[in-house]
Amino acid sequence: MMEILDRNIKDLINQYPSMGKALDDFNIACTTCNVGTCKLKDIVEIHNLSEIDERALFMKIAGIVYPGKTVEIPHLPRKAAAAGAKKKFSPPMQMLVDEHKHIKRVIAAIPDLVESVKSSLPENRKTVEQVIDFIRNYADRFHHAKEEDILFKQFEPATDIIKVMLEEHKIGRGHVKEVLAGLELNDANRIAANLSAYGALLTEHIFKEDEILYPWMERNMSDSQIGRLYSDFLSVEESFDGSPQRLVAFAESLTLNKIQEVL
Amino acid sequence: MSGCNCPGGQAIDFRQETENEPELTGSVKSQLRQWPVQMHLINPAAPYFQKADVVLAADCVAFAFGNFHNHFLKGKAVGIACPKLDEGQEGYEEKIVSWIDDAKINTLTVLIMQVPCCRGLLSLAQEAAKKAKRKIPIKYAVISLQGEILEEEWANN
Repeated sequence: MMEILDRNIKDLINQYPSMGKALDDFNIACTTCNVGTCKLKDIVEIHNLSEIDERALFMKIAGIVYPGKTVEIPHLPRKAAAAGAKKKFSPPMQMLVDEHKHIKRVIAAIPDLVESVKSSLPENRKTVEQVIDFIRNYADRFHHAKEEDILFKQFEPATDIIKVMLEEHKIGRGHVKEVLAGLELNDANRIAANLSAYGALLTEHIFKEDEILYPWMERNMSDSQIGRLYSDFLSVEESFDGSPQRLVAFAESLTLNKIQEVL
Repeated sequence: MSGCNCPGGQAIDFRQETENEPELTGSVKSQLRQWPVQMHLINPAAPYFQKADVVLAADCVAFAFGNFHNHFLKGKAVGIACPKLDEGQEGYEEKIVSWIDDAKINTLTVLIMQVPCCRGLLSLAQEAAKKAKRKIPIKYAVISLQGEILEEEWANN
């Protein structure tokens, strides 16, 4: 069983497709991950399952990998008490979660915008440019820079979950470049496809950060680290020259039917 | 105070609960890095407060929580106070503001007992934080009369 825990999740799901469903049953959505390089044992630790759920999941996995055989069910060591009541985020992590709300508001506008672009690019060019301005300056420069330059550096860079997050940032930047190329070439389909892909990627990415990554990071940082993180984030806010207020005002100006259910 | 009926002054006997505890051998090293500790006596500009992680503990906490030194005090500077009995607490608020703005402390952890009057110390710290120009994370923990951590949470949000 231990050798299974040390393997990356994408390979395991490819080899044992029912493992994806087993993880889904415990709200571990690895089947939708774009990267899938995390080791199974890290995924279980990061999701902070209770000891009972952890054992139940491992028993299911043992049944999938070793059907009909008796195997010893492992128990992973923990750094903090698992699966208690949901705790409040610390101030720096709450800052990132609050920024996600603005990003989600813009993502919620994408499906309608995509339809409009397909109907008439010239009429919707300005809105696409505004969305790209928001993504590049707020989501990427302002928000992702806090993560990449400060938060992620608190952790070992070889940590799988960090590598996955960085890879997703990179994929997102690729979609933005494609939208810009589409604008230059007046290619509405290219714009629509990449805006949609960006929206889907970021929706999943933000969910993973809010529900899994940030709580795991908080459990693994000292109060002193949290204090320095907060101070560093506040310095970014003071020195940022891209006017986050202007970009937040743009996100708030978007009135959409779906906003309430997304936020 | 003998006539006080509030939970903070109620007489409770824990002798039975502690009787069968095994005796610890060897000494436990103190983690105290400074003197003085009482809020009326401390100087918020003292070097050990500069950029420090600071604990503001209600007087009773260190007696109730058995592992106070290693769990809460290690690596931190400290001030202690009683929000129920101490006089001149406006001076405490000024000192907390000075910790935040002048000593530029990194974090503040407020440790209080579960008795209702102890919440005053957390309120005092939060009021001081509102008056300060800098922002820092503030955490609080509530300790039961028999030394368990009942609640531990960030207080800013």
